Amino acid sequence: MNDGPLIVQSDKTLLLEVEHPKADECRRAIAPFAELERAPEHIHTYRVTPLGLWNARAAGHDAEQVVDALVTFSRYPVPHALLVDVAETMSRYGRLQLLKHPVHGLVLTSSDRPVLEEVLRSRKIIPLVGARVDPDTVVVHPSERGQIKQFLLKLGWPAEDHAGYVDGEAHPIELDETGWALRPYQRQAVEGFWHGGSGVVVLPCGAGKTLVGAGAMATAKATTLILVTNTVSARQWKHELVRRTSLTEDEVGEYSGTRKEIRPVTIATYQVMTTKRKGVYPHLELFDSRDWGLIIYDEVHLLPAPVFKFTADLQARRRLGLTATLVREDGRETDVFSLIGPKRFDAPWKEIESQGYIAPADCVEVRVNLTDHERLTYATAEPEEKYRYCSTTATKQHVCEAIVRMHTGEQTLVIGQYIDQLDELGDHLGAPVIKGDTSNPQREKLFEAFRQGEISVLVVSKVANFSIDLPEAAVAIQVSGTFGSRQEEAQRLGRVLRPKADGRAARFYSVVARDTVDQDFAAHRQRFLAEQGYAYRIVDADELLASD
Amino acid sequence: MSTEQSTAPRTLAEDLRARDDEALSGLLRARPDLLSPVPNDLTQLATRAGTRASVVRALERLDRFTLQTAEAMAVGPDGCDLGVLGALMPDVEAPAVEAAVERLRERALVWGSDERLRLVRTARDMLAPSTGAPSPTGLGPTVAEATSGTSPGRMQELLADAGLPATHDPVSAVASLTALFSDAERMDVLLASAPRGTTEVLGKLTWGPPYGETPDAGRHVRAADAVTPVQWLLARGLLLPSGPGNVVLPREAGLYLRGGRAHRHHEPVPPSVEPVERDPQAVDAAAAGQAFTAVRTVEELLKRWDTGGPAVLRAGGLSVRDLKRTAAALDLSEQTAAFWLEVAFGAGLLASDGDVDEEWAPTPAYDEWRQHPTERRWEQLAAAWLTATRVPGLVGTKDSKGRVLAALGPDLDRSLAAEVRRRLLALLAGLPEGGAAGRDQLLARLRWDRPLRDGADGLREQIMDWTLLEAELLGVTGRGALSSHGRALLSGGHPAPLLAPLLPQPLDHVLLQADLTAVAPGPLVTHLAETLAVAADVESKGGATVFRFTPESVRRALDAGRSASDLHAFLAEHSRTPVPQPLTYLIDDVARKHGRLRVGAASAYLRCDDDALLAELLADRRSSGLGLRRLAPTVLAAQAPPDVLLERLRSMGCAPAAESADGDVLIARADAHRTPPRSAPVPVPEGPPVPDAVLLGAAVKAIRAGDRASTATRRPAVPAPADGGLPRSAAAETLAAMQAAVMVGETVWIGYVNADGAASQRVIAPVRVEGGFVTAYDHTTDEVRTFALHRVTGVAELADEPA
Repeated sequence: MNDGPLIVQSDKTLLLEVEHPKADECRRAIAPFAELERAPEHIHTYRVTPLGLWNARAAGHDAEQVVDALVTFSRYPVPHALLVDVAETMSRYGRLQLLKHPVHGLVLTSSDRPVLEEVLRSRKIIPLVGARVDPDTVVVHPSERGQIKQFLLKLGWPAEDHAGYVDGEAHPIELDETGWALRPYQRQAVEGFWHGGSGVVVLPCGAGKTLVGAGAMATAKATTLILVTNTVSARQWKHELVRRTSLTEDEVGEYSGTRKEIRPVTIATYQVMTTKRKGVYPHLELFDSRDWGLIIYDEVHLLPAPVFKFTADLQARRRLGLTATLVREDGRETDVFSLIGPKRFDAPWKEIESQGYIAPADCVEVRVNLTDHERLTYATAEPEEKYRYCSTTATKQHVCEAIVRMHTGEQTLVIGQYIDQLDELGDHLGAPVIKGDTSNPQREKLFEAFRQGEISVLVVSKVANFSIDLPEAAVAIQVSGTFGSRQEEAQRLGRVLRPKADGRAARFYSVVARDTVDQDFAAHRQRFLAEQGYAYRIVDADELLASD
Repeated sequence: MSTEQSTAPRTLAEDLRARDDEALSGLLRARPDLLSPVPNDLTQLATRAGTRASVVRALERLDRFTLQTAEAMAVGPDGCDLGVLGALMPDVEAPAVEAAVERLRERALVWGSDERLRLVRTARDMLAPSTGAPSPTGLGPTVAEATSGTSPGRMQELLADAGLPATHDPVSAVASLTALFSDAERMDVLLASAPRGTTEVLGKLTWGPPYGETPDAGRHVRAADAVTPVQWLLARGLLLPSGPGNVVLPREAGLYLRGGRAHRHHEPVPPSVEPVERDPQAVDAAAAGQAFTAVRTVEELLKRWDTGGPAVLRAGGLSVRDLKRTAAALDLSEQTAAFWLEVAFGAGLLASDGDVDEEWAPTPAYDEWRQHPTERRWEQLAAAWLTATRVPGLVGTKDSKGRVLAALGPDLDRSLAAEVRRRLLALLAGLPEGGAAGRDQLLARLRWDRPLRDGADGLREQIMDWTLLEAELLGVTGRGALSSHGRALLSGGHPAPLLAPLLPQPLDHVLLQADLTAVAPGPLVTHLAETLAVAADVESKGGATVFRFTPESVRRALDAGRSASDLHAFLAEHSRTPVPQPLTYLIDDVARKHGRLRVGAASAYLRCDDDALLAELLADRRSSGLGLRRLAPTVLAAQAPPDVLLERLRSMGCAPAAESADGDVLIARADAHRTPPRSAPVPVPEGPPVPDAVLLGAAVKAIRAGDRASTATRRPAVPAPADGGLPRSAAAETLAAMQAAVMVGETVWIGYVNADGAASQRVIAPVRVEGGFVTAYDHTTDEVRTFALHRVTGVAELADEPA
């Protein structure tokens, strides 16, 4: 029994004692292959998964290093079976390789003939491959490069893709680093991505993912297609690109529901790409409309299923995925791995926070006692109405307004799910409301006013969940949400994490009705943040209001 | 009778008589079946050593080379010397052959001097190729055996075609042909004239099986008519008919073609097991970690069944569903869960309770086991596993009747298991400390040590794989190498002291975190583990344990009689870090609701029909801390929690009973469910146990004494009848006398009643006693025939030995 900081559990989770003197060394050793699952204050939990091990292989680590890291830092003997399993899993990656053959084009080769025989026997693989060139090599139809990678991963033999990329149509793009510079971790992320060819960069909200994208474009110096979640986010990208790079307004096009511009750099929304008319996707041709050299997927954890399908056909182009979390509520992490690429860079929130690039946050759950009348109404409400009712009760509104008053003078966002609730709040607070039917120019106008400090309170619906840049929002108050979505919670917290000019901590309030489903959903939503090290304090509304 | 024979033993019994006590002990140790019951004298010992069952057992326990030596002797001439035997095994150094012969001699499978080695007849019959059964050497029957049904005329034809002079009778014809086939030079000449393709035909049969199919088998082919190579060979007797459409290569010809070798490859040296070196410390650490897990798993398993486990199937064992459930609960595979169940069962910690509705439940031995420290508990489990013959790996497989074998069920015993386990671990023990070995090498070595029939060999391979796995699971081995405590276990020592310092020490603290988890970075002291198990859910197990607090778990703790302040104090006491606010809040929040459910602030009430007594209690100064309050004349409310209240009331000399909501008397804790005393299942190893030195010494002494008594008088075992009537002897004596006659090759006088009831006297030379029949040469009719033993009225020795 040595005195290491790591405990290896039988369910393949690794527990890292943070206060241990060797904790940092250990974290560096295990980070390449283990996914950080939870990072509360004392013990961080990492999980060893096949995908994680293959990510490590893709990054050039071998089983020896992994086993060595586990054995060196583990406090108790590591179960032999687990070590064997690690070695066995890792040895599966790269037995099959996709290569460019000078004569036959795209080929699948194997260093281990039985493996090739095994996969070629699979019914899913047969239609994707052509003639057998030699015992170890088989031709793959170039159009099936993505498909075959997906299926091989499912069969447990992930292929290493060395077939290279087309350069695409060249286009001069330079970073314009006047008055700012890429942060060290952003630079590392760009390098990591470029070295790997394709892959995903995981950075917390507010850590400057757009700039990683810009950095990648400046490295590629080629026409770029950027896929983002919605129009607001598309505008933001355009704004940032024009500001931070040598690109001009005219070189960046927007391809959305309202505008259909195709320029050397085109920003398209997921929604327009996945619009289906008469059974076909009319905007799919965007992918083929230019010889793109780089494709950027923003918020890759939200990538809709049809986009995966298109992406499968784009394997010859460089792909960069940007996200705050690899956790997908639909469990399609494997598709991200095989179609976009392995994780190329990862920095935990707390680490970036400690470097001062994102603001520290104080998360508070405010428990509100419903009145007797409200409780009675809640108890007798239809099950499908219960959440709506308890999350929009009048008592909650009062508490919410009280909190806004507490933070008078600070830039405050009130975020909610239900429009009438938001309208009512907007009325009471005298603040503008941004919701689905607010026009884009109006939205941008309000955001700009908020940025400038002309208005200090903004009420937003879930349209503002993603990718809006509100640099000076110091307080966010969440009054209702999309049930238990952990992901939404993370995004909303991200709204206040932009570093503040005066270095203040951000406040994130979640107003929750006690003893209702609201409270249960809140608990679920908060788990993600608690696991990221953002501990929630829980206070009673009465206490909170009394103290001020 | 020559002078030489007077010194050399004539029978196995004589040979044994000449051996010293040490050698006899060796024999009995190697073949313990000979000891049950202890034979009366050496003649009886020799007879028993020659019985088929015993010889089979002895042969099955030989290593591969010794068996090959025995096989070579069986194809060689009876009574050959070491030189002849050496010629049959030309690649092997003479000392190796001598050593093998010595091993056979020790086991009384071979007797006689080195100049005249005799393989026990039964062994010879079994190992030598006969017309019916092919031999392991792949050689066929001798010319004499293969031509036994051939007419004298055909024999002469064969001689003529082989270029040999004609003889007077078939016996000399056979001898002449045998001599030709055994003479390498003459054979070279003969085969030089063979047509093309002959070598290929012979090549196919040389290394066995020596049988071939040909339509020409039945024809009397002459050399002049021979067209094909097969016909050429048939004409010269190099192939002899062995049945319709079948021919056989006679043994002598086979040996010539093999250059005299009895086997294609001889393996005088066991295949080596190359150690894969591991750090001995790492091995011990890994094994200890696993040993700890083993004990904990068994404990967890039995704790689940603490108040009554699943039902026992009517056919015995545990149902598949219950096994699945158990496996899921322990987060193990079904195979592994079955293994732990069997370990607990084998150690006598788990048994059927024997009630009308039979259930599995822990035994009283379990309670005793739990009192011991971890290392002792492990020792008990591992020792039971080492000698067990039950094979958990078979659970879930089907038996020959297609029934699925159930965990804890019948039919899991395989006598091979204990032996394979011991041999395998002994092999690992033979490696330097920290040495692991490749599976295939281990298997090759096991196979050499004890060759088995195909079916048994397959089973052994499975058992070996399971054993490797189980040893690792139990922590007998670590990273494939035998641990130091495993070594002690194997050698019959006490592994516990070696294991103890390697086990992690229980901790008395946990780390509490804001995401409502508690991490115990190691095993916990019992009371802490028990309380946490109530107040939180286990999320992950291993070296550490991760607990998660949920509203349900906190409620559970409150239900179990703990108050919120109890929990706060408990957490504060055992947490190394400050208790996080969300956790404190959670407990208070749940407790708040919990209190509401019970209505009011009282945590207990006191009810009594005698209001005077209640008044007395209220007035008593000792009850001041309980916060008693009178709610009604016969009801008091108390601020103290019920357990404190009960405790205090008891200390005040009252005898309070706790009450449930509807006024029933509450029993604090249900009695744990236990079986009546049960003993652990007894392993069923194949054959009798290996006798210890004391028993051996006594047995040898007894046999010697009996032998002196029987040899001193030198009387015939069965007196010859005086009046010339039918000899009469008891059935058992008849059998023994027949077997003795076979052994010694004696001729005896028997009375026989044929199927029509006609009695006759015969003089026979028994050849074989088998299945109630005696095959013997009948001197009266001059033929070999069989006699039903039950028709033999008796046996007598002849007055004078026939010439």
